Amino acid sequence: MGPVLSAVELTKRFGAVTAVDDLSFEVEAGSVTGFLGPNGAGKTTTLRMLLGLAEPTHGRALVFGRRFAELERPAARVGAVLEASDLHPGRTGRDHLRVLARAARVPLGRVGEVLTLVELGDVADRRVAGYSLGMRQRLGLAAALLGDPELLILDEPGNGLDPEGVRWLRDFLREFADQGRTVFVSSHHLAEVAQTVDRLVIINRGRLVVEAPLRELVDATASLEDVFLELTAEPST
Amino acid sequence: MSHQLRSELLKLRTTRTLALLLLAAGAMSLLGVSVEALSRDLDTLAPEDAQRDLFSSGVTVGVFFATLAGLVAVTSEFRYGTIRPTLIVEPRRRVVVAAKLVAAALAGSAFAVMCVGVTFGAAIAIFAVRDVEVALSSAHTLLLIAGPIVASMVSAMIGVAVGTLIRNQAGAIVALAAYALLVDAVLFAAVPSVGRYLPGKAGDALAGRPDELLLAPGLGAAVLIVWALALLAAATVRNDRSDV
Repeated sequence: MGPVLSAVELTKRFGAVTAVDDLSFEVEAGSVTGFLGPNGAGKTTTLRMLLGLAEPTHGRALVFGRRFAELERPAARVGAVLEASDLHPGRTGRDHLRVLARAARVPLGRVGEVLTLVELGDVADRRVAGYSLGMRQRLGLAAALLGDPELLILDEPGNGLDPEGVRWLRDFLREFADQGRTVFVSSHHLAEVAQTVDRLVIINRGRLVVEAPLRELVDATASLEDVFLELTAEPST
Repeated sequence: MSHQLRSELLKLRTTRTLALLLLAAGAMSLLGVSVEALSRDLDTLAPEDAQRDLFSSGVTVGVFFATLAGLVAVTSEFRYGTIRPTLIVEPRRRVVVAAKLVAAALAGSAFAVMCVGVTFGAAIAIFAVRDVEVALSSAHTLLLIAGPIVASMVSAMIGVAVGTLIRNQAGAIVALAAYALLVDAVLFAAVPSVGRYLPGKAGDALAGRPDELLLAPGLGAAVLIVWALALLAAATVRNDRSDV
């Protein structure tokens, strides 16, 4: 079986700005892979290309060996959350999920299941306008889980979660990967990442810095923060 | 396609936007028709042409609001970012747009039904009170009912196309309003032989407005559909290529 995700010479330019620059990496099944980089490193742009939302200028972004748009029933294979704020404020949480369940060809009964899974059952019938950032994160995750996917792609899922929520998310992702499924998660929370992930893909200025198992990078003498700051440091002139 | 259509219809039903637009359309029809029917002299209300003018002013409100509803249905996806979860679940963009077109056309017909109902109800009631005979021929009555329904459905699809092209909700609404209030009206007033081919005026012709300078209703329908197809072609190019 090939890699779950692969970026092959992936490049994205916006006018004169090269957001992603000849980036190649792979994500294997059954792992939690952290996707790290400073602000503006090109993480979200890379995720958007993997999900077919943005067209690469050059190179390929493949999911299960195909372009995202070529997947049959993508919701059953890939769940993804890019922005916790991608919700209509006037719609209830439950209705947001029902709308997506319809399009994903998922029975509406699944909506109640994923609401319970992310512990939003009590507020599901309130309009999203009244949700905290943490609740929006959970709702986004619930949507990603509708199709019971093999792969989760999450962009900064810990933003806005309280400590209890962070622990819940960590346990959830661990359990998800322990079932042989795959998580690809971007994050800024290095201490959190160090507790959650098996592998790391670190980029800076759109280019790959390192792709390695966490244990090869981090040991008793160097924390993930040390390694990250060293690898992504601006060259001193 | 049918799954996406059910999703799009559910989107329309699960926010207040469509209901509010429907109420606004009904209220504007009611206000416009009532003021005209109550304020005009009895003898100027009697001729059939005057009555056609009155009825068509009420029913064409629905056509404008149907366009607005199609526009808002698309641009709110960009405004609130829900286009991303939508396309992650259904990455075939043309399937999504096709479903939005059908959903908008169905919603558009609701605007026509609302405004035709309000217009006929209010006008006939006021005529009865003021003792004015309804002088509409059966052919014109049919045109004033069926025309707005077709015009609203096609116009709602035009709204979807324009929203796909402009994306920015405030910008798209301003563009639509400026077009409807300025471009259409000014060009038709200045050069009617050209202005009558604009989508707004073609829609007016289809909706039964009695103006010698407008196209015949059937030709108006054809011109409106050509506009819809042209805008859709442009929207499809944009939709296929643009990042979200």
